Amino acid sequence: MIALIRRLGRSGCEVTEGLGRAAIFLIQAAVGVPSREGLWLWVRQMHFVGVMSLAIVLVSGLFIGMVLGLQGYTILVDFGAEDALGQMVALSLLRELAPVVAALLFAGRAGSALTAEIGLMKATEQLTSMEMIGVDPLRRVVAPRLWAGFVALPLLTIGFGVIGIWGGQLVGVQWLGVFEGSYWGNMQASVEFADDVLNGLIKSLVFALVVTWIAVYQGYALVPTSEGISRATTRTVVYASLAVLGLDFVLTALMFGELS
Amino acid sequence: MTDSPLVEVEGLHFSRGEMEIFRGIDMQVPRGKITAIMGPSGTGKTTLLKLIGGQLAPDAGRVRIAGEEVHALSRKALFRLRRRMGMLFQSGALFSDLDVFENVAFPLRVHTDLPEAMIRDLVLMKLQAVGLRGARELMPSELSGGMARRVALARAIALDPDLILYDEPFVGQDPISMGVLVQLIRRLNDALGLTSVVVSHDIKETLSIADYVYVIADGVVMAHGTPGSLDVDRDPRVSQFIHGEPDGPVPFHYPAVDFHADLLGTGGPR
Amino acid sequence: MKRSKTMELGVGLFMLAGILGLLFLALRVSGLSLTPPGDSFRLEANFANVGGLKPRARVTMAGVTVGRVESIALDTEWYDARVVMELDGELAGALPEDSTAAILTSGLLGEQYIGLSVGGAPETLENGDRIRDTQSALVLEELIQQFVSNMVKE
Repeated sequence: MIALIRRLGRSGCEVTEGLGRAAIFLIQAAVGVPSREGLWLWVRQMHFVGVMSLAIVLVSGLFIGMVLGLQGYTILVDFGAEDALGQMVALSLLRELAPVVAALLFAGRAGSALTAEIGLMKATEQLTSMEMIGVDPLRRVVAPRLWAGFVALPLLTIGFGVIGIWGGQLVGVQWLGVFEGSYWGNMQASVEFADDVLNGLIKSLVFALVVTWIAVYQGYALVPTSEGISRATTRTVVYASLAVLGLDFVLTALMFGELS
Repeated sequence: MTDSPLVEVEGLHFSRGEMEIFRGIDMQVPRGKITAIMGPSGTGKTTLLKLIGGQLAPDAGRVRIAGEEVHALSRKALFRLRRRMGMLFQSGALFSDLDVFENVAFPLRVHTDLPEAMIRDLVLMKLQAVGLRGARELMPSELSGGMARRVALARAIALDPDLILYDEPFVGQDPISMGVLVQLIRRLNDALGLTSVVVSHDIKETLSIADYVYVIADGVVMAHGTPGSLDVDRDPRVSQFIHGEPDGPVPFHYPAVDFHADLLGTGGPR
Repeated sequence: MKRSKTMELGVGLFMLAGILGLLFLALRVSGLSLTPPGDSFRLEANFANVGGLKPRARVTMAGVTVGRVESIALDTEWYDARVVMELDGELAGALPEDSTAAILTSGLLGEQYIGLSVGGAPETLENGDRIRDTQSALVLEELIQQFVSNMVKE
């Protein structure tokens, strides 16, 4: 019994210690004066995590918007309220689906790649050799990736939302015959920029930070073997997805639940 | 001052978890010479290099480079000290997103404000020294293992360091590139007035270029001396290692119960 | 370090697309108008019961949206609901003093909003004034109760 409690205590200590290490890591990497060189490194990572993820995010956004249009129409038409389709599509996309689904896709597409890339650099001693040359790998390798992820995911989320709303319009208005004016009009009447669009963006900023942080930390802290890399990549996707879904509930409760 | 050793290691203790890796290592690396650190696999030779480079901190003992105590330095001072050190890693450790030219230029760009034309000249000089000036536009993934190590060597000497640490430079090389590397290490050392530390278990190659050899086993310095004196050393452990005999004081067999008893299944717990 | 022009272009386009997307969400989806919000004035109105009226609900006049509900609070003097409305600035000093405010429902199940009707008095309402003549929200339970008690009386 006592041994059991001790085991619990030890795992508690280990978890806390790990979180602390990750937090220190985040601060060390994120703080620092950006240089011209750093800007260029950031642009390269923006290309890698942002532009390269654009296709999967936009295609998913289009399909999700179209499904929302289809499902929403079949439900709303029973109440004769198919005019509210635009409102339904826009609100569910902006508040929930765009930030969450884009973050999940981002974790799978860019997050795992970041972990694997940094892990490979660690396994081939590139990080150590950089340190021996007198360059801090946190600044040179981790920081640009962290900032790129932080900027790229909100942009991807916006793209997801826009193309989703357009997809809903495509199905609802073009195929199913909802009046175009009421699709957009109802949407405009019900969507609040400050409440819906900005809150969605804030969510996405939080997710961006958490997903990228998990990805680069898993890469930086992994055991430098091929098995270690594959495990860390899996861990990135699992942890990041769980963190996104859990945080989404907390953020939704804070923003839209009438708790405050 | 010029006669004093460049690197001094005193009473170094280091352990990983429960495992004691070093139990009091003393070592001196003279200036301008090639000092080899040898020993069987798994004795922590690479760890020793990392301790000298300041990447790991010892449990006890001191490492001094040019009179500065490595582990008492601030992070900034340590990075400054490392500019005077080059390290060649086992895998070469070239930055995979930069081509050969940029890899060699990397330390120059980071630590100096030289104009582009000067950087170009310096990089080409270093690449010429390792014979790879023509490969400047290749990416690391297009290089063979030996070429990657030579590029890494060019990068390590880019800032004209005082000290170069070689981590297993001969592992996994074909005889030709091995010969090239052996010759390069010797030639660079003499031409640039470097001090070199070579960690290796390739006896023949290492003994052929080393001025002084330390043999490490079981966490202590087992023997040290010039290659000639070690060759005739009577200590059976030294002689087994130097002459590469398969069995001796270091047994061929991992500790186990008696073979016959084990086969018959009567040899106690499995 | 070699700078690839196409990569820079790609990232630039990506960021531009993001900004344009945000603009689209702001203008087309949430109907955010870019007119400065300073041009408005406030009116108060007390209702015996606001029903399901929410802050940010529409305020209309002849069916045209002219403002929104800013806040709803309990007035502890009369124990009724004090609703503060924010109206278009061009209506300042244009509404007669005896204008009325009613809480209406859009459709059978729609949301509730405030409808203003113009009176005929010569004096006009200024910033911060109160509309006296108000009509509360219809609460379904009260209606049913009235209907049932009328039935019983008969």
